Amino acid sequence: MIINIEKKEFSEAVSRVARFAERKSATLPVLAGIAIVAGDDGIKLRATNLETGIDFKVGGTIEQPGVVALPATTLREITGSFSGTGAIKLEHTGDTVLISSSAGRSTLKTLAYEDFPTLPFPDSPTAKFTLPGIQIRTLVLTVAGCASPSTVRPELASVLLSAEGGVVKAVATDSFRLAEKKIAVPGTVAPFSILIPAKNAIDIVQTLPDDDVEVLIDEHQCAFSWPGGIVTTRLVTVPYPDYTQIIPKQFVSEATLLRKDFEASLRRTAIFSDSFQKVRVSFATREKKILFSARNSDVGESSESIPASVTGDPIELSFNHRYLAAPLSLMNSENLSLSAAGIGRPLIIKGVGDNTFLYLVMPMNQ
Amino acid sequence: MNRSDPHELWEYILTQVELSISPANFNTWFKSSAIIKIEDGIVFIGVQSPFFKDWYQKHFNTLLLKIVRDVSVEFRNIEYTIVKDIARKQPKESRLRREPTQELPLNEFYINKSDNLNPRYTFDTFVVGSFNQVANMAARAAIERPGITYNPLFIYGDTGRGKTHLIQAIGNHYKKLYPNRKVFYLTSEKFGTDFTDSLQLGTANRFKEKYRQYDLLIMDDVQFLSKKDKFQEELFHLFNHLYDNNKQIVFSSDRAPGNIPDIMDRLRGRFLSGMTVDIGEPDMESRIEIVRKKAAMSGVMLSDEVSEYIATSVSGSIRELEGVLNSVVCHTQVKGTPPDIAEVRQSLRSFSRPSKTVSVKHVVSKIAEFYGIEEESIYEKTRRREVVRPRQVIMYILREDFSVSYPTIGNKLGGRDHTTVIHSCEKVKREVAEDAELAKEIQDIRTLLV
Repeated sequence: MIINIEKKEFSEAVSRVARFAERKSATLPVLAGIAIVAGDDGIKLRATNLETGIDFKVGGTIEQPGVVALPATTLREITGSFSGTGAIKLEHTGDTVLISSSAGRSTLKTLAYEDFPTLPFPDSPTAKFTLPGIQIRTLVLTVAGCASPSTVRPELASVLLSAEGGVVKAVATDSFRLAEKKIAVPGTVAPFSILIPAKNAIDIVQTLPDDDVEVLIDEHQCAFSWPGGIVTTRLVTVPYPDYTQIIPKQFVSEATLLRKDFEASLRRTAIFSDSFQKVRVSFATREKKILFSARNSDVGESSESIPASVTGDPIELSFNHRYLAAPLSLMNSENLSLSAAGIGRPLIIKGVGDNTFLYLVMPMNQ
Repeated sequence: MNRSDPHELWEYILTQVELSISPANFNTWFKSSAIIKIEDGIVFIGVQSPFFKDWYQKHFNTLLLKIVRDVSVEFRNIEYTIVKDIARKQPKESRLRREPTQELPLNEFYINKSDNLNPRYTFDTFVVGSFNQVANMAARAAIERPGITYNPLFIYGDTGRGKTHLIQAIGNHYKKLYPNRKVFYLTSEKFGTDFTDSLQLGTANRFKEKYRQYDLLIMDDVQFLSKKDKFQEELFHLFNHLYDNNKQIVFSSDRAPGNIPDIMDRLRGRFLSGMTVDIGEPDMESRIEIVRKKAAMSGVMLSDEVSEYIATSVSGSIRELEGVLNSVVCHTQVKGTPPDIAEVRQSLRSFSRPSKTVSVKHVVSKIAEFYGIEEESIYEKTRRREVVRPRQVIMYILREDFSVSYPTIGNKLGGRDHTTVIHSCEKVKREVAEDAELAKEIQDIRTLLV
C-alpha cells in the first residue's frame, strides 16, 4: 500500500479515530490499532473496541491499494507532532510502514491486520431518522454526565435517546439525579427510543460533524452515518424505567434566583462540606432568601444567604454539593428556578424560561 | 461429560478452542460468551454484540462445529444469538461507602417496552373488596378463556379506583399464562397520537398492522376518544378485526359506555357487546386493607390504629390514600420508625380539606342554587317534590360532611322534628348506594362546597 495524505487532514482523522481503538491491553493487539484501508472507494481509517466502531474517510491519493493496521497510540503521537503543512506518504512494505514527509522519515511496526474485526452495520434497520449532528451532540453531552459509571445496571449506565411528536430528548440518570434535555426538530421524526451506553455515546457524538447525520437502528445496534464516515455502537436492550413518573408535579416551595449567586455561594459553602459532601439548602420564605450551610468537624462551618424570590412553605434539604453544581454548566439561563417537592423527595432545577432542560436531584437523608 | 448440559459442553469447547487459537484471541472473543440452549441438535451460542456474531460466523464456525461434532454427531449446527444485557452475568460490585443520597424509586417504574405494561401492577398487589369483586372476577374469567368468555371486557369507575391497576394486572397475568402471545397496553390518547403520527409519516398501513397483531389489546381511558371521530373510526375497524379473530380486548373508562358523550353509536354498541362491569366506591374494610397492603409493600408496618385512622380520615380516591401513605413511608425513612397516630394526625392536616365548618345557610344556598330552586322554599313547610329532594340532600350533607346534630339540622331548616331529619338522611344514604345518578349529584355538590 502506498498513499499520500495532507498532514493536517491525516492528523485530524487519526485523533478522531483513535478514540475508538481499544485502550485496555489484555485483548487482541489489533484492537488497539487503526486500520488504514486504501481501495476503490478512497482511503478509510477504521478502529473498534468491539463496543463501538468507526469507518472514517480521508482525502488523499492512492498510488497502490492495500490494507495495514498500525498501533493507534503511537500513530496519534506521531501525527499530533506534525507541524507545518504539506503532504506525507505512507508506504507499506513487509511488516513495517514508512511514513515520510519533506522533513523526515520514520518506520512503524504494523499489527496483524487479519485479526481486525469487520464492522457490523444494521442490515435491516427497524428505525431510521436524520438529525443535525450538532443537535445529537448537544443532547448527549448535556445529560451523559448523569449516567451511572457502574455497569451493574446497564440501563443506568446509558443515555436514553427518544423521539415523540416532533421532540427528540435525551435522558440519563444514576438513580441519585436525573437530567433530561429536549430539542424540538423541524419536520417529522418517526418515534423511536434507544439506549446507548453513555461511554460510547460520548465518544460518538464528539466525532459527529455538525451537519445532518443519518441514524440507523436495529435491535442490537445503531449506526450514525454521514458522507464522511460511519460510527456504530452496541445498544442496551433492557427496559428503561418510566422516569416521567418520578418527576414531581406539585411543589411545596419554589424559588427563583440568579445563577451566578447560586454558583458562587455553593462553591464557598462546599469548602466546609463533610466527607459525604453534604450541603444544606433552606428555603426561607419570609426572608425571601435561600440559605446555604455546611459543617465539617475538621474544617469548620459556614453559612450564607442569597436573595431569591421564594414562594410556598419554608423547607430545609441536604444535598451532595457535586450534584447541585453539576447542572449549572449545562444551562444558559441567567436565572434558575428551584422547586422542592418536600422532605425526602426530589428537587428540580431548571433555567428560567428554558423548558428544554430539566435536572432532578434527590436529597440526602437528614 | 454430560452432552446435553450447556454449561459442561461450553467448558469442554473452551478447553479445545484454547489450544487452537492465540491467548489474546481467546480472551477477546470467548470470555463473555456461553451456550444458551441446545435444541434439536442445534447449539445456540449467546454472544454480546453484533461484532461477535459476525466474527464467530466468519472465523470460528468451522472450528466450533468440528469440536461439537467430535463430542457427538447429533449436533447438526451452531447458531449465534446476541444476548440481552439482563441475561448476561453481572460482576458483583460491593459498594463499600454507604451512599447517603437517597435513590430515586426507579425500580418501581420499569415498563416493558414491547407491551407497555408496568410489572408493578399484578393481581397479587390488587386488593379485592366488595366494591371491586365483580370486576376482579370478570377480569380473571376473561383471561381464563381469552377472546371467548367476555369479549370485550369493559371496566369503568371513577378516577382512582384501580381501573388501570386491574387492566394492567390482566395483561401481566396473561403474559405469564401465555408467554408466546402478544399483549399491548396503551391509553386512548397514545392511540390517537400514534395514529396522527402514522398519518403524517404516511405509514398508516404499518400502524394498522402493528395493532392487528396483538392477541390481547388493553386500552385505558377510552372516554378521551369522545368527539374524535377519526380515532373512533380507526378503533372501530381495529376492534372488528381483533374481535373477528377471537382476540381479547379490554377497555377502561371513567363512565359507562352509555354515558360517554359524543361517541359513535356503532362503537358504543361494541363496547356494550361483551361484559361491562363497574368498580364502585371502596368500603371502609377495603380501604383499611388497601392502606395495610400498600404500606407493607413499602416495607412499613403500621399499627391497626394508624391504618384505620388513615383509611377513615382520608376521604376520596385510592390515589389520595396512596399520597398520604407515601408521606408516612417517607416519614419512616427519615426518622427510622413508623409514625404513631398523633404524628399521622399532624401530617394529615395538610391533606385534609380545610374549613369543615360552614354555615348552614351557606350550604342551603349552594344546594338550592344547584337544583335551581328558591332558597326560601327549603325552609317552608312545602312537600313539593322538587323541594323535598334537595331538602333531604341538604340534611344528608350537613350530617355526613359537617357532622351537624340531627336536632340542630331540624331546627335550622324551618323547625322540623329530629326524627324527620334522621329519616331523610337514612333515605338519601340508602339511595346513594343504589342510584349512581344521585351519588354523582352529591359528588358535584361536594365540590361546590369545598
